[in-house]
Amino acid sequence: MNQKGSKRLLFTIVTIFLLLYLSLEGAGLAAYASSPAGIVKKMSGMATITRQGRALPATVGLEILENDTIRTGRDGSIGIVFNDETLLSLGPESLLVVDEFVFAPKQGKFSIVIRMLKGTAAYLSGLISKLAPESAHFKTPTASIGIRGTKFVAKIEGE
Amino acid sequence: MWILFCLLTGCGAHRAKRDLIVLLPDPDGKVGVITVTTREGSQKLDKPGYATEIGNLDKVPMPPRPLNEKEITDVFGPALLAQPDPAGRFILFILHFEHDTTKLTHESKGLLPEILRTIKSRKSNEVYVVGHTDLVGTEAYNIELSSRRASHVRDLFISSGIKPNALFVSFYGKARPLVPTKDEVPEPLNRRVEVIVR
Repeated sequence: MNQKGSKRLLFTIVTIFLLLYLSLEGAGLAAYASSPAGIVKKMSGMATITRQGRALPATVGLEILENDTIRTGRDGSIGIVFNDETLLSLGPESLLVVDEFVFAPKQGKFSIVIRMLKGTAAYLSGLISKLAPESAHFKTPTASIGIRGTKFVAKIEGE
Repeated sequence: MWILFCLLTGCGAHRAKRDLIVLLPDPDGKVGVITVTTREGSQKLDKPGYATEIGNLDKVPMPPRPLNEKEITDVFGPALLAQPDPAGRFILFILHFEHDTTKLTHESKGLLPEILRTIKSRKSNEVYVVGHTDLVGTEAYNIELSSRRASHVRDLFISSGIKPNALFVSFYGKARPLVPTKDEVPEPLNRRVEVIVR
């Protein structure tokens, strides 16, 4: 290999590494863009979290992010604690999306929007409902539920 | 086969396809309020075990009716079983004030040591101090009064050794009465600062 060829090879290798580094950095930034909204505390049977088009099996300790879709199987159930102490659990064959979650007391910013599509859920409101009740929403295909510091259950028939 | 089954049973289960929302008591026994709203109207649930059903988006939710415990666990058992433990999430205290002042009532003064003990024993760095008034007076005046009440409580906490950066102060004037009343009605229970210790 002549000198020119090896220089070109070196350049190619450097470029590949640079691109690889940038793409990893990009992924890192994307992960930072949505900070954890909550964490899985209880599980039984099958449940998955769909994040940016990819389904992950849910496990106790898994973080839940804004925009995550949570789905339970025929024998599945899952219990989640959000950062503001909202408790949300799903029974079997249920489907919901965490449309919004912001809990930033220093900035005075609060928002929780849960969109339930199917199945059964139990919801115990947390600090957001206490501090900014107008910012807590639970939506279903047929209705929206305004929550003032309380516990409720919902069964949604879905499509 | 399914059509035959349908003919025999009238497909009752299929026709009765409705969403169901049930209000339950909080773990501490208190009962909150939820409002269920469709495109056509809404229903308020404020009694525990009361439910509303929703046929579709273009119908008003049905009037609240009570469900018994079995009906609730039959449908919601697994979801309720999956609820994480609510113990120790946060503790709410309510301090009351004399009319149009930042002077704590006698009973509320007596509550202060317990609040301070709670903050210290939990080593809390998230204490919310939220000011409110009753519905007497203008909105602007009450915003200012609720702000003074919250600041007063904040200052009391700081002078008792609570770190300022653990305290989150907000205030809402007359916008969020604890006991709903008509405008201009004096209501001692609404003249308050809520302290939430996480």
